[in-house]
Amino acid sequence: MIQIDNLTKSFTSKTGKGFKKETVTVNAVNEVSFECKPGRIFSLLGPNGAGKTTTLRMIAGIINPTSGTAIVDGVDISQGNDEVKKRIGFLTGSTGLYERLNPDETLDFFGKLYKLPTSEYIERKEYLFEKLGVNEFRKKRVGQMSTGMKQKVSIARTLIHDPEVLIFDEPTSGLDVITADSIIDLIRESKDNNKTVIFSSHIMSEVDLLCDDLAIINKGSIIFNDSFENFKREMKADNLTQEFINRVKEA
Amino acid sequence: MNELFIIIKKELTELLRDKKTIINSIVLPTLLVPILIFGMIKVTEMINKSEQEKSIEIGLVNAPEDFTQLVQSDTLNKITTYEESIDFKTLISDETIQTAIVFPRDWKRQMDSLESANVQIFRNGTKDNVNGRVSKMLDAYAAGIKQKRMSQLQISSEKLTPFVQSYQEVSEQKELIGKRVGGFIPYLFILTMWGGCLLASIDLVTGEKERKTIETTLSLPVSKFKVLLGKTLVASILGFIPALLNLVGLIIGLKFIDGIPDMFKTAINQMLNFESITMIMLLLIPFAIFLAGLIIALVAGATSFKEAQSKASPIIMLIIIPLVLAMMPGIEFTWYTVFIPVLNIGLGVKEIMAGTIDLGLYAAMLISLIVIAVGAIYFSYKKFSDESAILS
Repeated sequence: MIQIDNLTKSFTSKTGKGFKKETVTVNAVNEVSFECKPGRIFSLLGPNGAGKTTTLRMIAGIINPTSGTAIVDGVDISQGNDEVKKRIGFLTGSTGLYERLNPDETLDFFGKLYKLPTSEYIERKEYLFEKLGVNEFRKKRVGQMSTGMKQKVSIARTLIHDPEVLIFDEPTSGLDVITADSIIDLIRESKDNNKTVIFSSHIMSEVDLLCDDLAIINKGSIIFNDSFENFKREMKADNLTQEFINRVKEA
Repeated sequence: MNELFIIIKKELTELLRDKKTIINSIVLPTLLVPILIFGMIKVTEMINKSEQEKSIEIGLVNAPEDFTQLVQSDTLNKITTYEESIDFKTLISDETIQTAIVFPRDWKRQMDSLESANVQIFRNGTKDNVNGRVSKMLDAYAAGIKQKRMSQLQISSEKLTPFVQSYQEVSEQKELIGKRVGGFIPYLFILTMWGGCLLASIDLVTGEKERKTIETTLSLPVSKFKVLLGKTLVASILGFIPALLNLVGLIIGLKFIDGIPDMFKTAINQMLNFESITMIMLLLIPFAIFLAGLIIALVAGATSFKEAQSKASPIIMLIIIPLVLAMMPGIEFTWYTVFIPVLNIGLGVKEIMAGTIDLGLYAAMLISLIVIAVGAIYFSYKKFSDESAILS
């Protein structure tokens, strides 16, 4: 369960030349509120620069909010980032893998830092490697892998600690349909296991396939937040992509 | 603590799998000193040999017979006799001759009447070999004439030598050489340490950004301080190892390379004993942490390897200047200099090598280095915690 209330993130930057400097403060995320329930997939959509990544980073405890609260699986993010991080599996386009390690070493590193009992994380690792088809390249260094192989390992490291909350930001970006399908399958499985899932993608067919609840963020503010069923019911355009574009333009 | 070790192990594994790190932090530092020693000895030998075998074209004007014979006695000298003084500057410039010696026309009369004659020597001041050999010949010739005159005037050489200077060296050879070459040793250590720390720090911070793994690391349930501390310690290890290998290289070089004067070899071997090596290494540990912390703080906001290098490189001046100062005469290891970073290491190592280190000053220096190392970690933590800088 994720409960977000009036979450705001401001960034301050200095501009100007020489001694004349000006301090500019910009709200990347402005009083955002939404709720993600266990056993449901929540889609957070928005154009580039809308504040999506900043929101997800705050939920994952990577950056601290300027104001507002976020409760992740019963833990307030202001009470300690490490506790929140233990409960989250975080995968975005900017969470790359360590190129000089192989998949085995990568998962061992994560397993140890999540303080999982050795037998437990080894069992979990074997399960994920089998499920994602990582076994054939488990000793190959990440730097020598294809995009698809890397993404499979990324998914495995995101799920190694069997987190209650999963954040996937464009998990199938740049992948072939077979690899993408195995990842979609894992996301569905997480939902079936009553996990809370935030899923973000620019591929509307995937959103259509997975989404239960939807929020659209634009210029740092939420412009739509309801069930996906209601979104489709209120649709004026012919397809999801067009409806999304229209709503962003109207906002 | 366990988390810190896991991070250190992972960072070290990653770095040591990088060929660039292996070459810069292990191979080069180990081979640098032996190659330098071997190269210097061989090059000096080659230069000396070729200089000794080089023939010199000497122009002579009004030269007395006995001097001409003296010049000719060295078969490598080639003589061209000129009737009168001509434009020797041009002749030397176009390398027709390398030097010219012009005796006065009335040389014989001046010598017979025991006068002091003026002999002009045309030369190029940069040709050390030519000038040295000519000076040697002239000195020998002048000494012969002087001896003849003394016999003629019946003056004994004692009468013209009021006293003889007889030096009794009271310092040990180790102290003498330690003070002279000790300033050079920190150069090797600190510069290779700087190189190791720089490469590792940039790889661990900016490299992670370039490889898009910094966010992965920050998503781990480990405090930013532990992540930062792990990176700082790994960067300092990668700075300390080259310095240690430098020392190993120096010891190996001195042991196995021929041509080093025995006296020098013995003194260096005496200096590099277990006690002095331990004392030097103890200083280098906090200094490596200081360097790593400082570099990480400087490169925390950089988004590319190039930008990180340009941000951190100017610091090298803050290292070289104190090291140069440490080698200058008159600057001593005192309570005034003991707290100046880098300068204190330069001066302290010199004293350690010479065996004259004051333990009170050494302890003060060590404490001051630990304090600046802690300061650098705090500074880098502040920079590393800057969200907009680290996630830029």
